[in-house]
Amino acid sequence: MDKRIYFVIGDVLVNVAIALLVALVSFWLVSTNWNMMVAMWLMMFVGMLLAMLLALPAGILFGAMEVMLPMKLSGMLSGMVVGMWAAMQPITLSQAIGVGGTVGLISVVLVWLLNSRIRGVQTLVEN
Amino acid sequence: MDLITQKKWDKAAPTFDLMAGKGAEERWEPFKRELFSAMQGNILFLALGTGLDIPFFPAGQSIQAIDISPKMLEQAEPRIADYSGDINASVMDVHNMSFEDNSFDQIFTSCTFCSVPDPINGLKSLKRVLKPGGELMMFEHTGSRYYPFKLMMDMMTLITSKIGPDMNRPTVENVTAAGFEITEVNHIFLDVVKTIKATKPAG
Repeated sequence: MDKRIYFVIGDVLVNVAIALLVALVSFWLVSTNWNMMVAMWLMMFVGMLLAMLLALPAGILFGAMEVMLPMKLSGMLSGMVVGMWAAMQPITLSQAIGVGGTVGLISVVLVWLLNSRIRGVQTLVEN
Repeated sequence: MDLITQKKWDKAAPTFDLMAGKGAEERWEPFKRELFSAMQGNILFLALGTGLDIPFFPAGQSIQAIDISPKMLEQAEPRIADYSGDINASVMDVHNMSFEDNSFDQIFTSCTFCSVPDPINGLKSLKRVLKPGGELMMFEHTGSRYYPFKLMMDMMTLITSKIGPDMNRPTVENVTAAGFEITEVNHIFLDVVKTIKATKPAG
């Protein structure tokens, strides 16, 4: 992960924000009459779409790929979890907010962990 | 000259710094400074754009820079003027460069081969103008081999390729396919943002 505090705060902020937004959209849109699988796939797609749009203004402040890819992951996972949950049983606004925020945090930490494994000089394999 | 590509980047020029000039450049600054710190000898910088990279160049170098978009180079003029060395910028298509064979000791690129329409032939053109044993030093973003990022980037490219760069280019493989010998690949963010160092074989 980028250790500069400006970017650490930015990463957390944009991922929690997009996950919250997608959780709220899922909460308002999906009800228990929805098929669970339809809700899950549709809200995953909506989450990725919203993340792609909002990554443009967020990227101006905090970076390009480093913002866009985690945001899309956060949006996708938030839509998947909250959309599916809202189709299974009635949920409250505070539950949607709580789960959305948590998903955003988990996503950004997952990307940091993955990045710490992948980054650095690579071993070149002879063909 | 590829007029379609030229038009695309001419259109992007007025807002390019707003979209790429703060977050991305600040984030990438340490890595770009490190890559560019190796500049020495007769240097070609490919796709200078609006000159966002110029503040990261080491002082006092003599650099030949090209870009396909005259509007981009217009935006770059103040940064070229501020540089404490010599930058000679001209409008040129990487696929049809007017430089003689074996002209440069080093070639630098920065987020370029996401946009060159025919990347392998573009890289072959670079190989032509690079001296045997010369260095190709690239700061690039590429596709990812990790899911779900691979899928995301393939989907995004359907849209982004119309207005700007492709998000899923296999640039490391393209460098090898063009006949360079890769000496180092350094992943900066996931396997997406990276530096690639390669040489033109001496033989």
